[in-house]
Amino acid sequence: MKKPEKLIENGKRLDGRVPDEMRPLKIEAGILERADGSAYVELGANKVLAAVYGPREMHPRHRQQPDTAVLRCRYNMAPFSVDERKRPGPDRRSVEISKVTREALESVLFLELYPRSVIDVFIEVLQADAGTRTAGINAASVALADAGVPMRDMVSSIAVGKIDDTIVLDLTKDEDQWGTTDMPIAMVPRKKLVTLLQMDGHFTKEEFGQALGLAFKACEQIYGIQRQALREKYAIKQEK
Amino acid sequence: MLYVQNRELVVPGQLIAEGSYNVREGAFREGKQVYASVVGLAELRGQDIRIIPLQGRYIPKPGDVVIGVVVDSYYSGWILDINSPYTGNLFVSDLLRRKVDLVREDISQYLSMGDVVVAMVKDVNERMRVQLEAGEPGMGRVKGGKLVEISPAKVPRVIGRKGSMLNTLQDVGECKLRVGQNGRIMIWGKNPRMINAVVEALLMIEREAHISGLTDRVHLMLEKIKSEGGE
Repeated sequence: MKKPEKLIENGKRLDGRVPDEMRPLKIEAGILERADGSAYVELGANKVLAAVYGPREMHPRHRQQPDTAVLRCRYNMAPFSVDERKRPGPDRRSVEISKVTREALESVLFLELYPRSVIDVFIEVLQADAGTRTAGINAASVALADAGVPMRDMVSSIAVGKIDDTIVLDLTKDEDQWGTTDMPIAMVPRKKLVTLLQMDGHFTKEEFGQALGLAFKACEQIYGIQRQALREKYAIKQEK
Repeated sequence: MLYVQNRELVVPGQLIAEGSYNVREGAFREGKQVYASVVGLAELRGQDIRIIPLQGRYIPKPGDVVIGVVVDSYYSGWILDINSPYTGNLFVSDLLRRKVDLVREDISQYLSMGDVVVAMVKDVNERMRVQLEAGEPGMGRVKGGKLVEISPAKVPRVIGRKGSMLNTLQDVGECKLRVGQNGRIMIWGKNPRMINAVVEALLMIEREAHISGLTDRVHLMLEKIKSEGGE
């Protein structure tokens, strides 16, 4: 695709959204039979699967922590998730994302309840259209709750950015590519604590504040959808 | 001040109550507020708040009866897999309930690899080292029978209110059951057909634990298989 002349025309973006509108979000909890907890997330064209295993015995043994559990995250993109085939395996980008994802989730978990064990989180990106790390965190957070891991709260995550000098919510691949700024944020909605914030590009102080405001509002919305996904799976059904 | 009803479904981070309540497992306190930390059913009993989890691994606690499998042995005892992130330790003296002279006695005659053992959790220390004992009558090495494994969070459903489900399984299924808190269940019975029926019933309980009227459906299913007769 060539760079379009304008990314926002008549107040509408390339895909018809207004600047502060999120892409449609769908979350489903507990879809993997053999994982302790799992979730599937669709954010626009993004398709992400998260699986949680544990708490379980830590191997290798020398990485056990005598007083707490260890959280391990792996963010991985399928070779077919992007237009040009991605060489499989961890690369610099996915190692970094794995690390920031772990740090975004770690603070809400009661890891000290399970000394010497490990909780594994696997995030597989099946289809990517910018904002996969935020979709991954949303999925992982639901999957952790589905696995029965005690948490202080869920973690909700979304990206904000700047295209054509306008602050917009939840960038697509094209907007990310041609826009000037991309800023993924993860937060603990109840206490309004930010657990992940990365920025590619520039914001002025005012723009930053505005962007943060947009993200906070969107995270509240995502938080609701995450809770709903869990409720749907665990609701007590009446006998037919 | 309570914000949820008894046995209402709650999700992590949900506000349950405000004030001086006793916070038990599955919930935590932040200042005056009490929040849920797991997906589960809020159980509010007087001043006590706890969440019955609907998922999760078995975490050993003292007094629990568990069913373990011997995976390793050492000089003075065995290591048991108890279907948990942590393994269990069983000393010979806690199995035989007497002093054992390890120099004279070869302990491999009592338990070997792969043996199934009914045991009780004697102690769990802060590093989650689990001490088991199996000296009481009805405990120790299991002879014969069938072992079924289900999710540990579903064990309360297998037992039922005041043991109603367990009684149904044992009486209608003509079997004797031993339920471990770790999700393992031993079944003994004379009729192999009814044993298999009980296994099916247990898997059904695990699958349909969230649908109401479970005990009646299990009863119906077992009665049906029983009436079909045959060997």
